[in-house]
Amino acid sequence: MIRFVVRRVVQSVPLLFVISLLIFALIHAAPGGPLSTYLENPNVRPEDIERLRKAMGLDRPLGFQYLSWLGAFVRGDWGFSYADGRPVLDRLIERIPATLELVGVACLMALIAALPIGIIAAINRKFDRVSSVFAVAGISLPVFWFGLLLQLIFAGALGWLPSSGRESFDGGDIADKLAHLILPATVLAAALSAAWSRYLRRAMRDTVARPFMRAARSRGLTERTLLLHHALPNALPTFVTVVLLDVSMMASGAVVTESIFAWPGIGSLFTEALGKRDYAVLMAFLMCGSVAVMGLNLIADLAVHALDPRTRDAA
Amino acid sequence: MKRALLLSMLAVAACGKDRPRTSSAGGTDLLTIGYDREPDTMNRYATHILEDIESCVVEGLVTNDEKMNVVPVLALEVPTTENGGVTLRRDGGMDVTWKLRPGVKWHDGVSHTSADVKFTVDAINKGDWKPESVDGFDRISSVDTPDSLTAVVHYKEVYAPYRLQFVRGTLPKHILDGKNIDVASEYNRKPLGTGPYRVVEWKTGEYILLEGVPNYWRGAEFPKIKRLLFKFLPNTTTRINQLKSGEVQLVALVPWDKVRELRGLPNVRLNTVVGNGYEHVSLNEKHFPPFAELTVRRAMAHAIDRNLIVNTLLDSLVTVVNGPIQPLSNAYEKDVATYPYDPARARALLDSAGWKPAADGIRMKDGQRLAFTMITQSGFAIRENVSQALQKQFRDVGIDASIRLIDGTSISSVWFKGDFDAMLHWWQSGADPEITLFFAADRTPPAGRNVNYFRDDSLTTMLYASDRTANETDRIALLKQAQRRVAMLVPELPLYNTSKVDAVPSRLQGFTGNPTNAGPFWNVWQWQLTAK
Amino acid sequence: MTTVTASTRDANRAPLIAAALLGVLLIGAALAPVLAPYTVDALDLANRRAAPSATHWFGTDELGRDLLTRVLFGARVSLAIGLISALVSAAIGAAVGAIAGYAGRVADDILMRLTDAMLAIPRLPLLMITAAVLQPSVPVLVLLVGLAGWMETARVVRAEVLSLAARDFVSAARAIGASPARVVLRHVLPGVLPATAVATTLAVGRGILLESALSFFGVGVQPPTASWGNMLYQAQTTMTSEPWLAIFPGAMIFLTVLACNAVGDAIGAQKS
Repeated sequence: MIRFVVRRVVQSVPLLFVISLLIFALIHAAPGGPLSTYLENPNVRPEDIERLRKAMGLDRPLGFQYLSWLGAFVRGDWGFSYADGRPVLDRLIERIPATLELVGVACLMALIAALPIGIIAAINRKFDRVSSVFAVAGISLPVFWFGLLLQLIFAGALGWLPSSGRESFDGGDIADKLAHLILPATVLAAALSAAWSRYLRRAMRDTVARPFMRAARSRGLTERTLLLHHALPNALPTFVTVVLLDVSMMASGAVVTESIFAWPGIGSLFTEALGKRDYAVLMAFLMCGSVAVMGLNLIADLAVHALDPRTRDAA
Repeated sequence: MKRALLLSMLAVAACGKDRPRTSSAGGTDLLTIGYDREPDTMNRYATHILEDIESCVVEGLVTNDEKMNVVPVLALEVPTTENGGVTLRRDGGMDVTWKLRPGVKWHDGVSHTSADVKFTVDAINKGDWKPESVDGFDRISSVDTPDSLTAVVHYKEVYAPYRLQFVRGTLPKHILDGKNIDVASEYNRKPLGTGPYRVVEWKTGEYILLEGVPNYWRGAEFPKIKRLLFKFLPNTTTRINQLKSGEVQLVALVPWDKVRELRGLPNVRLNTVVGNGYEHVSLNEKHFPPFAELTVRRAMAHAIDRNLIVNTLLDSLVTVVNGPIQPLSNAYEKDVATYPYDPARARALLDSAGWKPAADGIRMKDGQRLAFTMITQSGFAIRENVSQALQKQFRDVGIDASIRLIDGTSISSVWFKGDFDAMLHWWQSGADPEITLFFAADRTPPAGRNVNYFRDDSLTTMLYASDRTANETDRIALLKQAQRRVAMLVPELPLYNTSKVDAVPSRLQGFTGNPTNAGPFWNVWQWQLTAK
Repeated sequence: MTTVTASTRDANRAPLIAAALLGVLLIGAALAPVLAPYTVDALDLANRRAAPSATHWFGTDELGRDLLTRVLFGARVSLAIGLISALVSAAIGAAVGAIAGYAGRVADDILMRLTDAMLAIPRLPLLMITAAVLQPSVPVLVLLVGLAGWMETARVVRAEVLSLAARDFVSAARAIGASPARVVLRHVLPGVLPATAVATTLAVGRGILLESALSFFGVGVQPPTASWGNMLYQAQTTMTSEPWLAIFPGAMIFLTVLACNAVGDAIGAQKS
């Protein structure tokens, strides 16, 4: 087990190097740069642009820029934001708690909903039909449209909840924070819970159909017992993989949701940085995102090994 | 199950639900502003976006009022040739004497003096930090401070826009002297100013909270509103929804297509000022040579039904304009050549110039099709709509315009390289009526913003002469002459004035709006919220 | 007993309806130029934001264009992006997953690390940057969305293959000397089909939704070309005043994904 983890971590180093090279090339290939915003202002003259380009080190060859970025990054120096001149690390760190809070609560909500829905749907056909309608609805809703709809209804028409932000500036107690969390977390959780309950239901049904279950059935066990005591444990590895993979996909959902709900997390930092071509922040965001996802992948694999006795020996 | 969970969370939240509203909607001490973006820095000289929040804290020596006049703030008066504040030197240079308002103190109690003016110029000209622009400053050779309230600024040459040199204020010498201003995050996050407010809290990604200072120089009764809360809401729909729900009370620069939704809201007043920018189609004659033909440009101007576009797509919120300097400016020339909507005339002009319709209806001459690509910025519903309306109107006279949308960051690098045929856009413009940058023959990118790549020697001469004229009346006469010439030659197609619509609480007194980059917060010290 | 038969009949009918719906959508999209009541870019500025009526069944948009026409033409783009990208994803994903799960440690390691790398970079941000580089167009978006979505399928398929390969009937087939290709095609592939079918049907919806998310940030399908995603995006500003502009494209997205899922379910249920 430990050897497996060590091997994966060691393998991830060249992987991260390739990813960083890819992202760096991509970001710099995008038209425009950190100085583009300055161009719109007529008071900024070409001399100013040249002066700023030099000051920011953007006049050096790209390869040189990459190597100096890489060298500094490895040593833990993530550079300064091109937009506001503050250390990139500071900018990221101050945003991460908000995103963790949002994603964490959303995943919890989605799991709490998906587990029972998926299991009951696998057992009870009537419930299955009802729940699958909701599941499909959840998957089919465009995130930004759903978010705006919830804002219009719960914050606009009904006035029950704040439409955006993380807390009132003079509030900050638990109730206030929860009130701000509900809408964005629901938006994120909706699609997840729908997808997860479907995966669980399908995984359980598939297991029931397998040959080794026939044997169990022939021993006279009821369908319900089969599902709960045999299908569920067998379905869990696939389900856990899917859940962990989806959690790592949350960066995408967070980018949209945070933008709609003005949630001060790293997703909205990314949107902002992309608009300003803040290379330093973009690199740091994507590298952190990649590391986080790779960590979750590793955990997913470990979970499969731990939960599925058949593959445990294979690793 | 999920619904039950949601309901229980709603129940938990119910006790806190009124908070976001009661905190600001009824009182007179707090004004909550929905702001479209977070500032990069609060240093007015380093930011490259509008300085609305900064201007509540850091005052300029002058500012622009709602009529675009330059009015003194920390200066006692605006120096001119008439009042002796501006003198021309024999060597072709110019001296500007700024008299500072006595008794003004920085928020830490230190007096604001001419040493701060000198420090500001020196800090910018030393070039060891990254101010956004050194425009004008690089023409200053030195600053003398004969006494603590007098700063004499020596220019190397005559510089007509000198009046707005210190519109962004001064840097506090006693705080920043000897510091690296780029990374002086203490100052850049919470700048020391002389204005009615100071920064209490900047919560990254969420808001900036300003609080009125106790001893503001205009009098202890100012500012009347104790706290200003700027909430960062980049998504327009979110911003408007929060305005509707009362979570924010003021939204500056409401997009025109959103104004309709806000009409009739009981607590909201829509304040409109005519802007000093103008939407237009730039015609890059270097990239698409047919634009170099005056007849083609005139025909295109006649082909556009600007009134229809303004009255439908823009809900009559803006007005049709005929040139680059806007009616609010004292340099505005009304009497210029105009090109009313007249497709028949447009066709006749094109026929006369040898552009004959081919089989597909698109005109051709010497094997060249009158077909070009018009770029505009994506993400603006109005621009996308206007460009498609223009496309149809051009098509009606046999001109084929295809549309390409480019995102905001990329489009500036596209025009900077001159790599487009036509572009629907507007420039951010300052209060000074200088247009040399946009029309002088030698100011094509990168040296300027002449993206039409238009060359007219006589116009260029007029424009440079106006820049070198310190006397305002003489300068205006030259600028009016230049406007007439621009209208006659139509190097670009002017469409409409960019009105600024601000949504403010109906119980807010003293709000005037502002057509310039000084922004609507220019007179925030006198704003007042009346009780409900 | 009776309830079971009733629900079985329902379960049989639903996929048929869904398949029929998909067929109608595809035909409608293919014949859009013939079926559409107006030309796709006919502006009518005097008649903008008209509510649904006999002349304009779905109403008109901000430029007075007929919304039904736009929805029909939008179907071409959205369906193309959803379907083709899902097929691209499924093909790559199934191949990578099957090879990784069956062909041994080395291939598995290489392919899974490749999958990890692709999975590791946050998808929407990556697509947003890539779209900004490549200047969004419909073919580019199809390819991007397809290339961005094969990894889940690959991992799910690999997991299935791994556990199938450990089973007796596969070992037995191997033992009697069946070629690897034969084992994969005859024994393993049928076993992973349900999982692939589910992943692919979800990918169709995901592709359409991803396109709308990209449109939301201005790097999706660019106007004047219509897609359901960008129509929905443009409609968001007028959701309160002209709800039909959002309802129709939104409903189309919903129905399409619903239909794909129902069909996918049926395929999965039959094969297992």
